[in-house]
Amino acid sequence: MARIYVIDDDEQLLRMVGLMLQRGGHTTNLIGNPVDGFDQIMADKPDLLVLDVMMPNMSGHDLARKIRDTPEIEDLPILILTARSQEIDRATALESGADGYLSKPVTSQELIEKVDDLLTQKSGTPKTEQGIIIALYSLRGGVGQTTLAVNLASSLRRFSQKEVCLVDLSLSGSQASFHLRLQPRTSWADLLAGSTFEWAEIQKRLIIHPSGLRILAAPALPQLPTVLSGEATTAILETLRQNVAFVVVDLPPVLSSAFVAALQASDMAMHVITPDVIAVQTALNVNRAIAKANVAMKYKTHVVNQTTTEAPIAPTAIEKALSARIAFQIGYDANQPRALTQGVPLTLTNAQTVLPTAVNRMAEVIWQRVGKQE
Amino acid sequence: MSSKRYGHVINLDLFTDSYRVTGRAVVGAGGIHAALADPNSDFLELEDAYISRIIKPGEIITSYALVAFRKDNINFIVLQDRRDGVPVGTQHGRSVFTRGRAVSTFLTVPSFEIKGDIHHDGQLSPRAVLVHSMGRFQPIFEATASASLYPDISYSGDLILVQKERIGIFCLQSNK
Repeated sequence: MARIYVIDDDEQLLRMVGLMLQRGGHTTNLIGNPVDGFDQIMADKPDLLVLDVMMPNMSGHDLARKIRDTPEIEDLPILILTARSQEIDRATALESGADGYLSKPVTSQELIEKVDDLLTQKSGTPKTEQGIIIALYSLRGGVGQTTLAVNLASSLRRFSQKEVCLVDLSLSGSQASFHLRLQPRTSWADLLAGSTFEWAEIQKRLIIHPSGLRILAAPALPQLPTVLSGEATTAILETLRQNVAFVVVDLPPVLSSAFVAALQASDMAMHVITPDVIAVQTALNVNRAIAKANVAMKYKTHVVNQTTTEAPIAPTAIEKALSARIAFQIGYDANQPRALTQGVPLTLTNAQTVLPTAVNRMAEVIWQRVGKQE
Repeated sequence: MSSKRYGHVINLDLFTDSYRVTGRAVVGAGGIHAALADPNSDFLELEDAYISRIIKPGEIITSYALVAFRKDNINFIVLQDRRDGVPVGTQHGRSVFTRGRAVSTFLTVPSFEIKGDIHHDGQLSPRAVLVHSMGRFQPIFEATASASLYPDISYSGDLILVQKERIGIFCLQSNK
């Protein structure tokens, strides 16, 4: 959740943009005058500014230039939102110092995506030497979370051609290995026996898939939730972060200390849900439980994964129920059962079906937002 | 600004010989084309208009709450939605502006060249298009206007309304 200031002289548009951003989970301050806006920005230093161009007294371009010339707030991400919709207007907006540009009318989804994009860029900028941790979680089984984790890791590997590690924190056997047709002889459980979580130790436990993807597998036999502590989880993930470009973590459906530690370590937490009543109700309760446990996540998003042919609930209804935006939607893919049997993730094939198309798009977005900064 | 409005508000880019003006107009069901054809007024009024020079079209040089233009001096108007410009018809049939086949066109007005499609019903000739069509502004759909002396500067819109009297060259049916 970010603090976003919106400056627009049109009162109706100001309110509408404010509502869109609030629905995206942000807090807003709506300002009708650019001169007052500058003073408030100086005083409060918000996380992002959404700025109109055509305003009396001072244009949005002039305000953007003034912000860039003021050392205290020169790094403030600025999104220009204007009715001037020509290519020359985009160029002028970016020349004036804005980080992004959208033309009116704008849809809620376009606005939230662009805002999230700029916020991710801002939070990701200082970590140029570190990898990105992406955690996939759900406290309801059968939502296709492991399928997504395996395919996302494979796709990131293909896209980035950098080191990508899939961490399977499952407590009910090595689920990710089945998807990749691997028979791991080692797992994170072997790390727990040692006293350190140095890179050299972790490296010995990594399995390398023919695609180049590295896997830290879960133990073959089911484990008690207490086996993996929060401290150990944090240490393992932080070491991996220092040594690989992307760490994709498949979390167990158990609210354990390892679960909490992984979410807190992550740069991007993806809550996977299926479009049905029970999944949505569970997701609501998971959100409440996570809030109650004061789990601080840097960036949280929802992913709807349709695992059956029917989707009883529409995405808009899910967004309304969760009061949150769905960042990614993956439709039903009839090829997935066969891919699982064959042990080849669909994103490693040339299939152009629903799941690989959506997951590749997801990987591309993540790669564009955070990966390229390296 | 008037507190009582009739019709709906549209955003538009309007071009004279030397200026680009972005603003809002209140139009009725006939769109801006009907307001331009209104014989009771020689002027078109815009609200919250922001004015730029054509050679620096991104930079706003001044703005006013109310601006009036002599219709004769408007070269063309760029709209992002054709429904803001002309009636497009209903599900039962297209309007007089959108009926017929799409024909590619290229035309010039002072400082600009414009490419796009016209919709024409019947035998095709420049005369039929320019003389017999309704109103003083010619609708060009899915159009792009490029500055003749600065070809990098261009404006695209779902609809561009071009003042017929300002047209210099008028070409129909591209050979490409």
